[in-house]
Amino acid sequence: MIGLASDNLLGTVFGVYLARAKDEEIRRRKVASGGAVTALLTYALEKGIVDGVVAAKRTKGLEGQAVVAHNKKELLEAAGNKWSIVPFATRMKAKIEEENLKKVALVCLPCQAQFFAQMRDFPLLESDFGERIKYIVSLFCMGTFAFNAFLNYLRMKYNIKAEQIRDIHLKKDFLEIVYNGTKLDLPIEEVYSYLQTGCLVCTDYTGIWSDISAGFVESEPGWTVLMARNPKAEELIKSAEKEGYLELKEGSHVVGEILKKAREKLARAQQNMSYLL
Amino acid sequence: MEKLKVLHVDIGSCEGCNVSILRALPKIQEFVDLDMKYLAKKTCARDKYDMVIITGGVCMNEPHIIEKVKSLREKTSTIVAFGSCATFGGILRFCRGGQEPRPDHRNFQPINSVVKVDYSIPGCPPTPQMVQSFFKFFVAGDKKRLKLFKVYADIKKLSGFDLIDDIVLTGLCIGCGACELSCPTQAIEMIDRRPNLIAEKCIRCGTCYVRCPRASQMLSMGGRK
Repeated sequence: MIGLASDNLLGTVFGVYLARAKDEEIRRRKVASGGAVTALLTYALEKGIVDGVVAAKRTKGLEGQAVVAHNKKELLEAAGNKWSIVPFATRMKAKIEEENLKKVALVCLPCQAQFFAQMRDFPLLESDFGERIKYIVSLFCMGTFAFNAFLNYLRMKYNIKAEQIRDIHLKKDFLEIVYNGTKLDLPIEEVYSYLQTGCLVCTDYTGIWSDISAGFVESEPGWTVLMARNPKAEELIKSAEKEGYLELKEGSHVVGEILKKAREKLARAQQNMSYLL
Repeated sequence: MEKLKVLHVDIGSCEGCNVSILRALPKIQEFVDLDMKYLAKKTCARDKYDMVIITGGVCMNEPHIIEKVKSLREKTSTIVAFGSCATFGGILRFCRGGQEPRPDHRNFQPINSVVKVDYSIPGCPPTPQMVQSFFKFFVAGDKKRLKLFKVYADIKKLSGFDLIDDIVLTGLCIGCGACELSCPTQAIEMIDRRPNLIAEKCIRCGTCYVRCPRASQMLSMGGRK
């Protein structure tokens, strides 16, 4: 356990690692960073630690859909950055019950992690399915797009249509939009106002309610940061390394960088709260 | 370890919450010594309890109930309001007098209208697993996890209406669908990626508000309702 108080911005942290997938196929298809989340979950699926992974998959434009992955192939299809929130709470429940999954890993955003972890810790309803959720993996998040508004903006200003967009990457301080074989760089400030209002008042960057937080830092390109928040998560990461799915190195030196981002989000939230509430 | 001495008092619930506590009993027995009227024990036998769990709302037209709740406050340092009626008024909020079987009952309030409450556990009813979790975290002294329940203890009213007012109409909703999934009466449906409340179906249990990540994050960060 590294020296972080439990009430700080990053929540409880047991260990911070930099990881990347050993599997070449995952590395090639990686989108955001080292593909460590895909590799970790592949390990969990192949060893039967979980029987399904619920994740969001981008379907068209910026829209997404909740899917259940049972193997590496399906995981790879869902991998990559998401730019809109997928309202998968209800959908997920249906999926889990349909397939009668007993041990699920979830890949979600901090807000969803909070909801599912609260459901797991505090099952208020008979219809809750918290006991079926084994791992909650939260991705670092700076906000999701009000994507109808954002797409409309892209169409009006740059004449880019939703169906032309192949991919979007977050670079240092601009968004790279890949469409029709070309690229467009949009400064972050320009697109900020197209984030959802609710995201502008959110204070959680890493997902403090999750079991594992994952994301990337600029100083370590090609690597995924994995933050284990409890012994159970720590064990999963360690054994994935032992079994040869993950390449792991100590990552406590990037905590400062994550903390900086988290503070940025907090400051933004405080500023926005002052005039929204 | 000495067992936690807990008293359960019902001041007018539908028994749903009570059944929930009873169902949890086998799992909490090892660290909780529960006084409850269903257990053929003399309740209120002790002068002091470590915790008093109250279920049901306070009928403001029944002075002896109000007195009883106040006397319970003297008996313990920790009062837990259990279930939506006790925490936020719940379905009892719809009481308006002239209704059978007790036309004289005109107004119900949550417990925190009468005495200070330490923890509020909403839900209609909260599940037995919730009782287990609560005691587990309480005995372990996990203040961080219990913080939200502490925050709810100061809130008198929370419902789908508040969710719409505070989160959706202010534009803070992110459309995650947690409320839709949490509603026990299916009073919430997502329309155009935002929740819509079917007013007649809302029983004012507050579960949607409690489960909303935006709302619960702001409340746990010290935001006020």
